[in-house]
Amino acid sequence: MSLELKFACPLPNGIHARPASALEEVARNFVADISLTNDRTGNVANVKSVLAIIGAEVRHRDPCRIVITGADAEAAHAALSDFVRHEFPGCDDPTPASSNLIGEIVLPPVLTQSNQIIRHGKPAVAGIGRGRLVRLGGLQVPPNLPLQRNADFATESGKLDAALTAIAEDYETRLEQQHSRLEIELLKAHRSIARDPEFRQKLHEFLQPEQRTAAGAIVAVEKYFTMILTQTDSALLRERALDVQDVCYQLLRQIYGPSAVTAEPHLTQDSIVVAESLTPGQFLALNRKFLKGLVLGHAGNTSHTVILARSFGIPTIIDVADLRNETLCHDEAIVDAECGLLLTTLNDTIRRYYAMEERRIAERKARLRRFAHQPARTPDNCPVGIAGNIGTAAEGEAAFDAGAESIGLFRTEMLFFDRDTPPTEDEQFEEYCRALSTAKGRPVITRTLDIGGDKPLAYLHLPAENNPFLGYRAVRIYPEYENLFRSQIRALVRASAHGPLKILIPMITAAEEIAWAKQVIREEQNRCRAAGIPYDANMAIGAMIEVPAAAFQLDVLCRELDFFSIGSNDLLQYFAGADRANPRLAKLYDPLQPAFLRFLHKIISEARAAGKWIGLCGEMGGHAEYLPILVGLGLDEISAAPSLVAALKAEVAAWPMTLCRDLAAKALTCATAADVRGLLDEFAARRPTPLVDPELVIIESTSTTKQEVIKEAVDRLYVLGRTQQPRALEQALWQREAVYSTGFGHGFAIPHCKTSAVSANSLVLMRLRAPVEWGSLDGKPVQTVLLLTIRESDHANNHMNVFSKLARKVMHEDFRNHLIEAPDSTVACALLSGVLAA
Amino acid sequence: MKFVAVTACPTGIAHTYMAAEQLEKTAQKLGHTIKVETQGAMGIENELSQADIDAAEAAILATDIAIEKPERFDRIRKVQVPVQAALKDPVAIFQKTLAA
Repeated sequence: MSLELKFACPLPNGIHARPASALEEVARNFVADISLTNDRTGNVANVKSVLAIIGAEVRHRDPCRIVITGADAEAAHAALSDFVRHEFPGCDDPTPASSNLIGEIVLPPVLTQSNQIIRHGKPAVAGIGRGRLVRLGGLQVPPNLPLQRNADFATESGKLDAALTAIAEDYETRLEQQHSRLEIELLKAHRSIARDPEFRQKLHEFLQPEQRTAAGAIVAVEKYFTMILTQTDSALLRERALDVQDVCYQLLRQIYGPSAVTAEPHLTQDSIVVAESLTPGQFLALNRKFLKGLVLGHAGNTSHTVILARSFGIPTIIDVADLRNETLCHDEAIVDAECGLLLTTLNDTIRRYYAMEERRIAERKARLRRFAHQPARTPDNCPVGIAGNIGTAAEGEAAFDAGAESIGLFRTEMLFFDRDTPPTEDEQFEEYCRALSTAKGRPVITRTLDIGGDKPLAYLHLPAENNPFLGYRAVRIYPEYENLFRSQIRALVRASAHGPLKILIPMITAAEEIAWAKQVIREEQNRCRAAGIPYDANMAIGAMIEVPAAAFQLDVLCRELDFFSIGSNDLLQYFAGADRANPRLAKLYDPLQPAFLRFLHKIISEARAAGKWIGLCGEMGGHAEYLPILVGLGLDEISAAPSLVAALKAEVAAWPMTLCRDLAAKALTCATAADVRGLLDEFAARRPTPLVDPELVIIESTSTTKQEVIKEAVDRLYVLGRTQQPRALEQALWQREAVYSTGFGHGFAIPHCKTSAVSANSLVLMRLRAPVEWGSLDGKPVQTVLLLTIRESDHANNHMNVFSKLARKVMHEDFRNHLIEAPDSTVACALLSGVLAA
Repeated sequence: MKFVAVTACPTGIAHTYMAAEQLEKTAQKLGHTIKVETQGAMGIENELSQADIDAAEAAILATDIAIEKPERFDRIRKVQVPVQAALKDPVAIFQKTLAA
């Protein structure tokens, strides 16, 4: 019996990967033979094969016929009719565009006005990177895998069948655990390939002719489908080729083991690595000397890679769509992780813009480096520890180089990721000793394994959870995986003989957990003593404060522990009941919410009252602008990514403890996070910064356009710490220029704005080597620029009278000539100060 | 001759004062006397009293925005110009005002 179903393709993008998978999922429930004919092309496809359906190249409005033959044809017909009518049209939902996530980032005019191809993502690690695009992922077969040898067909095909079944099951399990829509789509697509009859058949066909091994057949089938799919004119189908690659890679892993198929690309020149996703292991295998930038598709499982990238200061953007585009291959590309952009076509304007950006960032860094190796002390001589967070011992050196005074958080998870079995005790011991040796006698707070939740480990077989962040993770899993925990503790106890190592236990919620963990530590110490292995009997033991419950039993915890470290990321999300990964909750997941500040205050003051040391190692600590509040709340130490350490030290050196305490006390009385921000803004303005400064005089600028002139001035203000939001400042200046040009004739311009983007009122004087077009009143180009910035919240109009005096002065030719003729920046600055003070 | 003037630009940071200076400078050059009120970021400065205005021959309003207390100028001969005009060709403004 044969039944037919006719329809015109309702999908504007044609039947691409997603709808084909959906169709296949319905068809595979029936034993009947089901075929789809595209009457426009005459192509016929097996509806139980996604690859075949895609190969039929059905476009929008193509007339299609589904023919069903076999025992359950009627039921299949009913199901398919229902599906085609009701669900099929909805299969076309485009995946959500990541550009929606950009939020408040203001693009500089030079980029908004350019016609270059710019891909948008989300900045994850700030910076600018430049280099050749290198794509990672896809199928890379290591040369040591034999592709052809006199292989036995039955053995090899058995391997393939078993592997196909295994990975299909694996996709199934992962689908059950997955909540992210993007991940689900991807897994479904992969699963459908793994169980695609055409895919399986081709694999077996390719075994035969040259007596290929399973690996040889996988490589051949990958080539075959890639060729077919990339020849189509649809971007969506070309994308599908990468799914095939991924599945082939999984097959190789399944058959030959993960270690056999992990091939790292060898970077030989400055490179920007592009990957759908990248594991921490893959990241660490890259030659960082040449790794100048990282562009990742969906951030799904890459958060640990991003943490690593941050420690090494690799400019990184995530959530970039279109990464699977075949044409993404360029010798010169720029990743702009300030704005979250990937630029693959460059012109001179853009190159000059990024040369300026690189200079801006480098100069700021150089300026901050002055503080890197000064002790972190407030001007009234109170020490505030500034430490580094690291994920591998290798990062320790970078952290101390950057000025860290100790390691405030050594995450040990990296050792455990990306492998089939946990690291041995000796392996761990060596890693911990390495970290201690880079520290040269400075403390290393080492956190025991924090896995589970968003950080599963395959070899632990942790059950999937509905709410992993509120689930079975960190200290909560230790009793079940006691051997794993004990081996880590033994390694740590042994390492404690080699330097000041402190143990930090994550996710402590209840006192019982501490008692248990301490018991294990004591037992392992005793065992070392019995075996004559040296260890530090006074090794400090502390807890992460990241579950609010712990904060309400701090007195009990204080009796048992030596120190605490606030994990502000989790603490805030549990405290506010707001998922930190959900951008819609960003207003609640805000560390400056007064309730959270009060909570921190409670925790810190109780710990201090009990005489316990307390630090903070979450992302909140990395914000230099929050630092005066945190210092004022009384933290002993703030630990952040090494790249942020110098900026934090500079901030510590800027604010007397007395002022910080006042600020914190005021912040605790605020009603809203906005009030706290206002307070911080006012506070920042108290930094004594003169209006003019020789460093604000650019005596011979080489900028060639108005855009470059304004950017150069703004960049200078940024380097000098007078603005933290250079792009917002630039935008404010351009908004004023849009009213009418500030070129007032005589070769002079006076751009200005009043904005919350500056922390100090400033006057920049620039003399241009060559005049630039400014749209001036007299139509003539500009060669001298006086740029004024005023703080938005400057209600006292502190410098307004000075600015108005200056505005009057520039109307006089003799004053203008003095500015033009000043021999150097010191003279020019003295001239300005003298006139303005008069 | 005796003039009064008000200057007011969009941000009140620069052009308000530049225009005021320009009008004062030009008046002096042309042998006139002038009192210029600025309405800028610091609010009203050098404010014109009704007596100042009544004593003047004419008023120059070099303003890009609506000014405070406009009713003071209801009874006087006046010319309204953009701030930029005061910077570009102030002499012409005085001529225009005299001709008004």
